[in-house]
Amino acid sequence: MTDALDAGGLHLSPAVGYTALLLVALSTVLIGIYGLRISRTTGDFYVASRTVRPWWNASAIGGEYLSAASFLGVAGLILISGVDALWFPIGYTAGYLMLLLFVAAPLRRSGAYTIPDFAQARLDSLLVRRVTSMLVVVVGWLYIVPQLHGAALTVQITTGLPSWVGPLAVVVVVCLSVVTGGMRSITFVQAFQYWLKLTALAVPAAFILFRLGADGASITAGGSAFTTDLNTTAHASLYGTISLVIALLFGTLGLPHVLVRFYTNPDGASARRTTVLVLGLLSVFYLFPTVYGILGRIHTPELAAGGAADATVLLLPGRIFDGATGDLLSALVTAGAFAAFLSTTSGLVVSLAGVISQEFFQGSVTGFRRAALLSTIVPLVIALLTDTLALAGSVGSVFAFTASTICPLLLLGIWWRGLTDAGAIAGMLVGAILCGGAIAVTAALGPDGGWVWLGQPALWTVPAAFLTMVLVSRATAGRRPATASRVLARLHTPEPR
Amino acid sequence: MTQEQPGPPRRVRVTAPRTAARATGASFPVAREMAEQSELGQLFVTSLIRSQLRLALVVAGGFLVILMGIPVLLAVFPDIEAMTVLTVPLPWLILGLGVYPLVIGCAILYVHSASRNERRFQDLVDDD
Repeated sequence: MTDALDAGGLHLSPAVGYTALLLVALSTVLIGIYGLRISRTTGDFYVASRTVRPWWNASAIGGEYLSAASFLGVAGLILISGVDALWFPIGYTAGYLMLLLFVAAPLRRSGAYTIPDFAQARLDSLLVRRVTSMLVVVVGWLYIVPQLHGAALTVQITTGLPSWVGPLAVVVVVCLSVVTGGMRSITFVQAFQYWLKLTALAVPAAFILFRLGADGASITAGGSAFTTDLNTTAHASLYGTISLVIALLFGTLGLPHVLVRFYTNPDGASARRTTVLVLGLLSVFYLFPTVYGILGRIHTPELAAGGAADATVLLLPGRIFDGATGDLLSALVTAGAFAAFLSTTSGLVVSLAGVISQEFFQGSVTGFRRAALLSTIVPLVIALLTDTLALAGSVGSVFAFTASTICPLLLLGIWWRGLTDAGAIAGMLVGAILCGGAIAVTAALGPDGGWVWLGQPALWTVPAAFLTMVLVSRATAGRRPATASRVLARLHTPEPR
Repeated sequence: MTQEQPGPPRRVRVTAPRTAARATGASFPVAREMAEQSELGQLFVTSLIRSQLRLALVVAGGFLVILMGIPVLLAVFPDIEAMTVLTVPLPWLILGLGVYPLVIGCAILYVHSASRNERRFQDLVDDD
């Protein structure tokens, strides 16, 4: 990666990078400290005591969810695989529709903090809780790694510093803000970061489109932006597309940092309203990475072959504008990118720390802080030891994994009386082994080897996990918890008026 | 879950250890408690869950059929890729812009109907 970037001369002026990174880091820590003043109880720490309004909450969800894969990866993927890449933002957005339909209100009413809490309350089994906790932690770690890779790329391009600086900086800032303020301050930070990310993409995009329009040039270069063949990947097959969409749609509702956000709604109905707002915010946001990707196909085509496609968003403003305007706009997109790594990572760290501290540190505030450190250090080590370029792709594998493990547990747990602890464990393990195995085999074979049904496993691993869960639950019907009816009633009956 | 009341929700202290996670609220309102205990109440709850599930499945199914129809349509009629609006090819327009209003439309439709189901349930329980 380093060589490709150096050879291409893809660095921005370091002063721009430093200013942007410092500003974002500083504002994050400051808002975190402000949140600390109103964050007092254990409940504040874990779920902001459930007092966050839908509008704040929706912005916070958007801020947390729009990760490196969305901010940098989508445009990069459009650059290298064209129209097929548009399925990624569709899947990321429509995942929230599935969340709304099947999970949002019932999960809010369950009264649990985390997915393991839910699993235990629903199935009355400590073992289910343990298995779920382990899966949640694995998912969280795997999801933090691409964020740190994105940070490595951004810091390297904008400042020229070695690639380990980016991940380390993200981890330090996240630990500071999470350890001091917990969930309540994080809610403010995340809400701020959604709007920062949107501005950071929208303002330079408006400048670029206006400039191109004023120059009288055709913005799409007479349509050749869509037809130029920069594709370094083969055209996606029908199977590949459908399997990817299934992974993204059903993976979203199992992501730990997404779920914990719904507990900060006051009741089930407001959890639904929040989700609709989130869908609007995401739809608006994803217009911009698409614009960058299309413009990148004309103005930064060499990035596709150079293996630095994810840098499209960062470099595009500097290609169109020279001098101070170019520097300012570049600083803005850099700040937005850094906000994306920070917000997603801190969201994940908060939810992981919640799970780990309840499992090992008796759920105290000190335990939460220790767990927060633990949940950042492991992915930091993994990120420093590995090297990946296609951010959107590696995040896609994490979605396939959650869709095959946590998603069946949630859907059947919420909607089917007949689920048993044995069925839940069997289903999650089958999904984890099949999907994890497929991802590992594909990674081992490298980008050119492997088959599409292994590279995009969701279409068969998700049904396999569901089927196992249902069949084993049927076979062990005697183990149905006595509380099942009561818990289901609690999940689905509206709060009293 | 503990003390939900109309108006601005009161702050509640929630404890973290897992033993407390499944404590069912002693402050459950009477109407709801009855709805869960009595045979008639059980029936109401079951029918509420059924209608909510049916609604979710119908909306999800409709959305997925339309969404999955797009790649199938493109695979069956490759000529669509040559059609353009203001130099933008049709598949780019549909996937880059057209899908999002569909997602939001489905969401609003669902929230509307789900709240209606819940209002009906509440009316039934209150009359009871």
